[in-house]
Amino acid sequence: MKLLLTKISILGCGAAMAALLAGCASSGVKNPSGVAVTHINADEQGFVAGTGVESQDMVMVADKMSRSILSIPQIANAATPPTIVLEPVDNQTRFPINKDIFLTRIRAQLNSKARGKVVFLARSEMAALEQERNRKRQGAVTASSDPNVQEFKGADYFLTGSLQGLSTRTAAGTSDYILYDFHLIDARTSAIVWEDSAEMKKQGLEDAAYR
Amino acid sequence: MKSLWQPALLAVLLTLAGCATTPKREVVLTGNVMVDAPNAIAHGPPRDRVLWEYRLAAAAMRQGQFALAKQNLDDALLTLGGIYGNDPNAKKARSYFHAEAKKTFIGEPYERSMAYIYRGILYWMDGEPDNARACFRSAEFEDSDTEKHEYAGDWVLPEYLDGLATTKLHGDGSDAFKRAQAVARGVNLPPYHPEANGLFFVEFGPGPTKFATGRYGEELRFHTAPSPVASAELNVDALRIPIAPTDDVNFQATTRGGRVMDHILGNKAVFKSTTDTVGNVALVGGLATAAASRDRTTEEVGLGIALVGLVSKTISAATVPAADTRSWDNLPCYLSFASVPLPPGTHVATIQFLDPAGQVLPNLTKTITINITTTDRDKVVFVSDTSLTPQTL
Repeated sequence: MKLLLTKISILGCGAAMAALLAGCASSGVKNPSGVAVTHINADEQGFVAGTGVESQDMVMVADKMSRSILSIPQIANAATPPTIVLEPVDNQTRFPINKDIFLTRIRAQLNSKARGKVVFLARSEMAALEQERNRKRQGAVTASSDPNVQEFKGADYFLTGSLQGLSTRTAAGTSDYILYDFHLIDARTSAIVWEDSAEMKKQGLEDAAYR
Repeated sequence: MKSLWQPALLAVLLTLAGCATTPKREVVLTGNVMVDAPNAIAHGPPRDRVLWEYRLAAAAMRQGQFALAKQNLDDALLTLGGIYGNDPNAKKARSYFHAEAKKTFIGEPYERSMAYIYRGILYWMDGEPDNARACFRSAEFEDSDTEKHEYAGDWVLPEYLDGLATTKLHGDGSDAFKRAQAVARGVNLPPYHPEANGLFFVEFGPGPTKFATGRYGEELRFHTAPSPVASAELNVDALRIPIAPTDDVNFQATTRGGRVMDHILGNKAVFKSTTDTVGNVALVGGLATAAASRDRTTEEVGLGIALVGLVSKTISAATVPAADTRSWDNLPCYLSFASVPLPPGTHVATIQFLDPAGQVLPNLTKTITINITTTDRDKVVFVSDTSLTPQTL
């Protein structure tokens, strides 16, 4: 009987140990302690990714657009730098995004690389600028030039764009296609003098636990 | 020496038990979601974070704390947008020995859709109708892959608002309007009036909650209570506008159909049942054989069978087929919408909620003072039958 109980306890303890090891909380878990913050380039895909608009997409699109704009005759061969106003991008996708970020990056790239070939007008600051001009006109502050002379520039072109998307969702996964389109519009004639686009398609499938 | 192995083995088992039993993150709840949610988000299990963010966002919107709602919905939707690919917690949730509730909560499709609908309303409040439209499109998208493709993409309001936003952005919203009308189930949707700058989003009634049925709680079910509020009425300036329900969240929850996870839970339940049965048979049979045996070999065989039975019973006991019943439990039952032209100035709007007999429920009446400073941008008003009153926007 004692031998019987000993055999049962050996085998039972072994089974219990196996069960405990199988249920050990961290076993099979990748990065159980998390991952420290690391710096990656904006044009790289990080390990956190979805099917929507991400930084590497924005960088690629903005870079492509800014190179393309500089090559058109209206910019490259202009006698004086044309003035451009940024108009908000129209988001027609299913992803809410910070739309301004595209135009901000295109503008930054152009200002950085164009070396004065284009001039952007800060229309978003007009209220503050008009207030300052009024102060100068009233003599409340000093002015380095005659404040009564109209010096605010008019736009030669408007730079704007749209993001359009096609999305599909089936049992096989989710697929999102986004067309990034940007164009330069002649403020005088409404002609589109430049247009370029980029497209991206991403797909993924979530774990069955979420389906 | 002979007796040392048992305490040694016991010590090893206790150490491993310590490894398996990590400290639980428990949060004491007060019943006030405005208090409990921030506490749970900060100190509770990370897998419940999105659930508490959803709850807090809904409560914050009813309190007029739209910035707080925005912040929580943005974080929740970030998690929702990144669920593709390898997810260790989701993998555990699918395994035999962990409950479905082990996975990171992102909600069932109706809950995900509601998160996008609320965020869309907030974008429109901030003067971003295109981002609002994006959210409404995502809300429909979350409902687009249903079992047997019945009731797929059948939210009415997101489709209607998609078209309204497009119309206001000088596009053609007629396709979206047609899609909305096609799924409106007897509701005649008003045509778009792009000049109507006062947009009222109204919600009322109690929404769905989850519970589990089945032998091991493996079947996810939804509890829907009849709503004491059946409709609403908006009074602003000289206008009196009846507001009928456009979407029914209870309907969305209960008509999505089966989930892939339901099949996994069903398999887990079968496994649990089978291993339990095998365990019973082996344990009883093995012990009976050992007890009745006349020789050592038969005795050992019987004990071996009994041990197999014990292991099978242990595995059965450890198998967890329970469905995840975590619910976004402060959702409304009905969603609706009205739009009115509001010139610049101050307007006092009263929203009354009516019972199924058409009688006003006076304790639910909400008063909102609306200041219109410009007609260049829509004024968005969010009202719930549980909203704070009065409010000034």
